[in-house]
Amino acid sequence: MANVLIDGLKERISNAIKINQSIGIMLPGSNYSDLVQALFEYINSKPEEAWVYVTVTKPYGTLVKQYEYLLEAKNIKFIDCISRAAGILRSDSNCIYLESPSMLEKLGLEIMNIFKEVDEDTEKFLVIDSLSNLIIYNDAEIVTEFFYHIVNRTRAKDIHTISLAIEEEGLEKHLNRLIYLNDKILKVRDSFI
Amino acid sequence: MAKDEFISTGIDKLDKLLEGGTPRGFSVLILGTPGSSVEILCKQLATVGKVLYFTTEETEDEILNTISRFGWDKSNIKIVDIASEYSKAVLSSEEKRISVYKQRSKIKLKELIEIGSSGLPPTQKGAEDFLAVLSNKLKSAKYEKIIINSLDFFLSQYRQEEVIRTVHAAKISNLENKGVLFIIMTRGIHGDIFERKMEGIADCVLELEVLQKGSAFERFLAVKKMKNYAKKIGIARYIIDSDGFVLEMIERIM
Amino acid sequence: MQEEERLIVDNERCKTGIDELDIQLGGGIPTGSTVLMVGSSGSGKTTLCMQFLINGAQQGERGVFFTITEPLFKLTKNMEGFSFYDKKLVESGMVNLIDLRIISERLGLDTEKYTAEDASALLDILRDIADELNVKRLVIDSITALCYRLQTPEMIRDFIFKLGSSLAAMKCTTLLTSEVPPMTFQYSQYGIEEFISDGIMFLGDLERKGDLIRTFQIVKMRGAAHSRTKSAMSISSKSGVELAPLLKSRE
Ligand SMILES: Nc1ncnc2c1ncn2[C@@H]1O[C@H](COP(=O)(O)OP(=O)(O)OP(=O)(O)O)[C@@H](O)[C@H]1O
Ligand SMILES: [Mg+2]
Repeated sequence: MANVLIDGLKERISNAIKINQSIGIMLPGSNYSDLVQALFEYINSKPEEAWVYVTVTKPYGTLVKQYEYLLEAKNIKFIDCISRAAGILRSDSNCIYLESPSMLEKLGLEIMNIFKEVDEDTEKFLVIDSLSNLIIYNDAEIVTEFFYHIVNRTRAKDIHTISLAIEEEGLEKHLNRLIYLNDKILKVRDSFI
Repeated sequence: MAKDEFISTGIDKLDKLLEGGTPRGFSVLILGTPGSSVEILCKQLATVGKVLYFTTEETEDEILNTISRFGWDKSNIKIVDIASEYSKAVLSSEEKRISVYKQRSKIKLKELIEIGSSGLPPTQKGAEDFLAVLSNKLKSAKYEKIIINSLDFFLSQYRQEEVIRTVHAAKISNLENKGVLFIIMTRGIHGDIFERKMEGIADCVLELEVLQKGSAFERFLAVKKMKNYAKKIGIARYIIDSDGFVLEMIERIM
Repeated sequence: MQEEERLIVDNERCKTGIDELDIQLGGGIPTGSTVLMVGSSGSGKTTLCMQFLINGAQQGERGVFFTITEPLFKLTKNMEGFSFYDKKLVESGMVNLIDLRIISERLGLDTEKYTAEDASALLDILRDIADELNVKRLVIDSITALCYRLQTPEMIRDFIFKLGSSLAAMKCTTLLTSEVPPMTFQYSQYGIEEFISDGIMFLGDLERKGDLIRTFQIVKMRGAAHSRTKSAMSISSKSGVELAPLLKSRE
């Protein structure tokens, strides 16, 4: 049952990202783990691509515990914005730890620095997990400005982006403004299940 | 029994004022003012018991000469002559200064660059660390009396916090050694707060004062603080004659 | 024709090698300038200066780093944490690291206190070393520590002006670091360093949601049309100092 759901999500992501530069995925919190699983499985099936995964939701340590294959994956690098601020100190070759999710300029620099080292012809993808959590740690205005920069810079370098927005009461107004900066929006609904 | 508990100051009437001498393990702060002849008091204190004497103003020779002049015993004094060491250090650094350009012309530039890039830590310090000398000597001390004359010198060379730290350490090791520590300091030049702190650290505070009465000067020695011996607080007029300090009129305040 | 014009412009600018900074400067620091690098402790002055020297050396410009605050072993140990720090450039003499304290010690100067004569002797040596090594880039880290060893405000004034004229006579591009207390808006400890410098760069902090964000701003740069906007600054082992546009929230 769950597999059907995951496969469905994978297919939707795959189709959308093929034809669009940037996609935004709106989803209710209850679907978050399914979507992340689908994303990671999808990424894992594309070893020839280069992915950068920004996590503001779960610490890198938690993610790799849950999806062990990520530890070996050569096609994905993480930027963890929350572990340091939460006092978790670890160092991993696959992950850059940011001091705090409010250091948005630094986040932007780190993202672009990772892509700088990737071959010109390799297809490049960025995941931001998630815009809603960035808004929790920052003022909505500044996240909008940050996201605007990111969308422009990645577009200029031909990097695809996937941004997650977890629906949350009180945040809709800001999230809607952000998410519509993307070329395509996917809405994940409970009713699909 | 009483003999064990107290150490004589070396001045009869002062012992009486203190009702037996200075309790063992006590740290005594002596606050002097110019003209109070505190330096004579220091030497007189040094004539009884096994004594370690730090001098920062007078040289060892000057001290021993004065003691001889008064006919006191000097066989049990060990003097740490910081005054001489300091003036030597000042002189030699003055000498070095004069020759900067001379020195410069002696060393080839290439050599200088090499030295500067070698990254060896500085070979010698500009001057000796006298505060370190003080605290090291204090630690190893097995003396009945330790006299520091005066703290003013250290306060002119080091930060107050550093000096306080050293004094604290000295107080503790003195307590363990069951000796008496005398620290001399000039009143009114180091700031009220610092004086309060020092008075707080000391177990006993003696203050020398010079008052003008008409055309004459009268000198007083006051026991300002006596930890655990409240009744000993008192004041005495003193003069200095060929025997040194002579306390005349003793007045007990409590 | 156009090619030639560009070459001339390039020749007049000393590229810091920090991309975003060179863009802000319109190509680089005007060659021969003296620039004051102002910031509180830990703001990244030393790192930025070293990056400037290393990048220069990679382009064939020899440089010298005079350190006063940190002993050499500490300086190199800190710098080895950065991937831009290429030890070979130091070993080959393209970047020279010199401990001014050791030199003054060797000359018999009291390392904690300088007289006016000591200070000018030291200045002469600084100049002679820069000449001898034929450097294009020079760093003094820090000018505050040098002045700290002078006893009176007059001596400091005098020294700074002498330093200024010595540096002006040299052909190299110079960075002087200046320490100021955190969260202040002054550019120098003694209030006069800025007058001898052609440029001032300010490394500051900005509080956002309880975190301190590093900032960078070119306050002045004679002879260059430069940006005056505040940037965000990052320091990382991998890239050293980097600049990015500062996001401005409407607070
Ligand atoms: N390897 C590194 N990776 C990331 N950041 C580093 C690294 N090494 C040092 N830093 C950061 O850089 C700062 C030090 O920068 P630097 O020594 O250049 O500052 P400074 O302005 O010269 O300070 P000071 O006035 O103390 O000399 C440190 O506060 C530290 O946060
Ligand atoms: Mg520094």
